[in-house]
Amino acid sequence: MARGPRRILSAVLAAAVSLAILLPSAAPAARDIAAELRKERGRLLEMKDREEKTVRELTEALRMEKRSKGRVGELQDRLKRQKSLLSRIDRNISALNDRLDRAEKAVRELEAAHGQARTDLQRAEVVAFAGQRAGAADPWRPSARERERYFMRLYLAADAEDVARITRARERKAEELSGLERQVAVTESKMAREKKVGDTLLSRQEAERVRLADFEREKKRKQKELKSLRAKIARMESVVSRVERQVKERERRARKRAAGESATGAPAEAPRRFASLSGGLSTPLAGKVVTRFGRQHDPTFDVTIENRGVEIEAPSGASVKSVGQGEVAFAGAVSGFGNVLIVQHGGGLFSVYGRLEAFLVKQGEAVKKGTVVGRLPGSPSGKSVLYLELRAGGTAIDPTSAIPLDR
Amino acid sequence: MRGQPSLWWIDWRLSRSHLVRETIGRFLYFCLLGFAVISLLLSGGVSRFLADRYAITAVLRAEVPAAEAEGLARKVAVLPSVRSAAYRDPEAVWKEFLRAYPGVESLRGAGGNPMPGYIEIRFRPDRLTGADIDLVASALRSVPLVEQVLAGEEWLPRLLRAGRIASLAGWGVFGAFLAGFFLVGRLQERARVVALAGDFAFLAERGVSAGRLACSRAAAAAVSGFLLSAAGTAVGGGALFLSLRNFHFLEAVVGPPSDLLLPRTIAGAVLFCCGAALLSAAASLLGGRAARSGR
Repeated sequence: MARGPRRILSAVLAAAVSLAILLPSAAPAARDIAAELRKERGRLLEMKDREEKTVRELTEALRMEKRSKGRVGELQDRLKRQKSLLSRIDRNISALNDRLDRAEKAVRELEAAHGQARTDLQRAEVVAFAGQRAGAADPWRPSARERERYFMRLYLAADAEDVARITRARERKAEELSGLERQVAVTESKMAREKKVGDTLLSRQEAERVRLADFEREKKRKQKELKSLRAKIARMESVVSRVERQVKERERRARKRAAGESATGAPAEAPRRFASLSGGLSTPLAGKVVTRFGRQHDPTFDVTIENRGVEIEAPSGASVKSVGQGEVAFAGAVSGFGNVLIVQHGGGLFSVYGRLEAFLVKQGEAVKKGTVVGRLPGSPSGKSVLYLELRAGGTAIDPTSAIPLDR
Repeated sequence: MRGQPSLWWIDWRLSRSHLVRETIGRFLYFCLLGFAVISLLLSGGVSRFLADRYAITAVLRAEVPAAEAEGLARKVAVLPSVRSAAYRDPEAVWKEFLRAYPGVESLRGAGGNPMPGYIEIRFRPDRLTGADIDLVASALRSVPLVEQVLAGEEWLPRLLRAGRIASLAGWGVFGAFLAGFFLVGRLQERARVVALAGDFAFLAERGVSAGRLACSRAAAAAVSGFLLSAAGTAVGGGALFLSLRNFHFLEAVVGPPSDLLLPRTIAGAVLFCCGAALLSAAASLLGGRAARSGR
């Protein structure tokens, strides 16, 4: 994600390094320029470090912001679901309370009816007893008395059945009431739990919002800082370009003086092309291009970045070979690129190999095409990346246009 | 016979005043006995009273329609021993129940009427017997519409036995009164014979045999006894008629006034009159003999 700015810096850095390498080969008169270049290189490296740090912090801030936004969104969804659940539970409790009220009313009515029925039955028994006592004094109506007794038994049985029926109905209602009360208690307990969860979610959402606001502020601050750094780098690149032009001019003047001293006078060496290298170019290692050359869109910062080289993914520890014949112009550590090795192929052609673990050649050593110049570092994932850049006449060119790389 | 005086009413000629008093007394007594015998004939002792008090109750099932219940009542009513069979619908039963148990109505406001309908079967007084009752009750129990038959099995034998005893007692009292009439009549006849002993001796000296005199007197006593009893029975019957007309509760014990003119009632009254005539004649004969024998 933070590779875009690195590409810009790498280009500037490569130019600076190449100039720094080329300067010693120029005349001693350019020694002050070389010193200036070293000084500028040091400033560039420092700025690059600061930019990398800022980019890392910005990336982290963005990642945190994104995660925080995701959390806030998730919390909002959960809160929405929670509210819906609470509303549903509330409706359930309301319905249960209605049923509870109705059941309580029914139980009260049944209890009143039960009491009335029992009282009526007791009174009827009293009436029956009194009637029997009165009938005992009237022996002249035996059949009528027998019939009255039988019907009184029927009456009392019907009353007793009424009492029993009301008792059963009351028991059923009481049982239903008890069940409803339990149900209400369970639902209320559930609602209390869900409210607690909702409160927790709200507090978490609030905390996430606060954090998000912090991230936003941090992001703005970092973006501002990055913008400022990039402006500085651009100015620095312009300075380096100017220095490079000055070096070229001094070289030209040196060659002119040398030509003036010689009888014939040698013409200036024209910039060459990689295709014209003897033996052609070969791949530095077997791998796949994961970062392309040229203008690329960075989704993290939503900006367009100019890549000066390509990145090739290969197995960890793989050997890196020289793409062509030449001489090691530089081998050293460059911040952001790890160990960097630059091979000068002559005619303004350079090949740059970054992110190496170790160098297998020394500065100034001549290399042939296919010579192993370094090795990629190890990685827990088993994959490592090689940075490859080709420069012709001070301009970076697409390595995939000169070397058959697997895309 | 024409040259001799008639001996039929010899007592009237010899002792008119005494005989008038006796006749009045006997008439009144026969009025009482006539009232009693007609009452007993009509009531059958206490049978009518018991028949009016006793009834079989066939309690119907709750779901029996009124039309079917009435049809069953009509079928029961045509049985020989049954005097009446009346269906009472549940509403009437409920009202009857409330009359029997006042105060119950207020206790069953919304409960509705729990009473089923029933058929009340009453027996003829002369068929109020255990056998007839069992026959009807068992027939009713086999009917699917009937839920319960209330025939008073627990107390019916005692009731019937008491009825029999009461009837026998009634007829016994009546018989005692008849016996009293006979004894009093005998004493009166004896006393008169004693009082008229001189006159009868005079007649005997003139050739009137004692047997002929006794027969004549007995025949006259029988005729007068029949006439007096008939008159007394008629008067007693009239009094009973008036009583039944004026006091309806007596109908339940004695019977309706219309039964007074039933042939069996008239036959019974005639039989009573004949019995009274025979008793009068017997009292005359036995009283005369007792007087002659000096007992």
